[in-house]
Amino acid sequence: MDATLSIIILLVMVLGAVQVALTLYARNVVAAAAHEGARAAIELGRNPHDALVVARSSVERSAGGLVDRMRVTMSLDSTGARSVVQVRVTGLLNSPGPVPLKFPVSSVATSSRQKAPE
Amino acid sequence: MRKRDGGMAIIETILFGLLLLVPLMWALGVLADLHRSALASSSAAREAGFDAAASIGLADATRAVDEAVTRAFADQGLDPSRARVDWSASSGLVRGGEVEVEVSYPVSVAQAPILGSLAGPSIWVNARHVARIDPFRSLE
Repeated sequence: MDATLSIIILLVMVLGAVQVALTLYARNVVAAAAHEGARAAIELGRNPHDALVVARSSVERSAGGLVDRMRVTMSLDSTGARSVVQVRVTGLLNSPGPVPLKFPVSSVATSSRQKAPE
Repeated sequence: MRKRDGGMAIIETILFGLLLLVPLMWALGVLADLHRSALASSSAAREAGFDAAASIGLADATRAVDEAVTRAFADQGLDPSRARVDWSASSGLVRGGEVEVEVSYPVSVAQAPILGSLAGPSIWVNARHVARIDPFRSLE
């Protein structure tokens, strides 16, 4: 009886640690995906709408399976000599661990580029 | 007299489990921070390389590198002032040249999820990026 309960408690602790590790890793993957989206948007977007489509597509390809109800928003600031794109990814993180929990995640990434001469 | 020790194994398991769990969670926190810092450093080096390679002069490139590194670390929720940045441009910023950016960031080992980081030993993560200056760009 004692052995059974002990094994169950140990199993819960080990699975919890695995869950925490995978959740932290997934959060970092979403942050990296947001950054890739921002870079793709600033390089490949011909106009703000196109840039948003590019950013959304890039983020979905990189981290789409990890985030439920994913929302990708983009802001473009083109004052001065540089264009700056900021991509924000929000949603519910599907923790890839043994317990199917969801955690809210929000990540921001910024990328800039020298404006092309007029 | 017979000693009754039923239930002791559970108490021992919980106590020793918690004793093992605390350093495990600490290690996970440090590893996650290392991963995050590595991502931020590589992003910073890449962005800084792109921006410096597109700059029209050394002063402009220096400013672009600083801004790119600050943005990349701030996006990941890290302190940009702790980052060490070295960059160089082979023979100035001429067409077809190269810009090399190296970013290093210290990750404090003495940290806990709620307490934050304390002064102590650090692990440095490094990222290096070489960007080529467009050989056909219109600005020199």
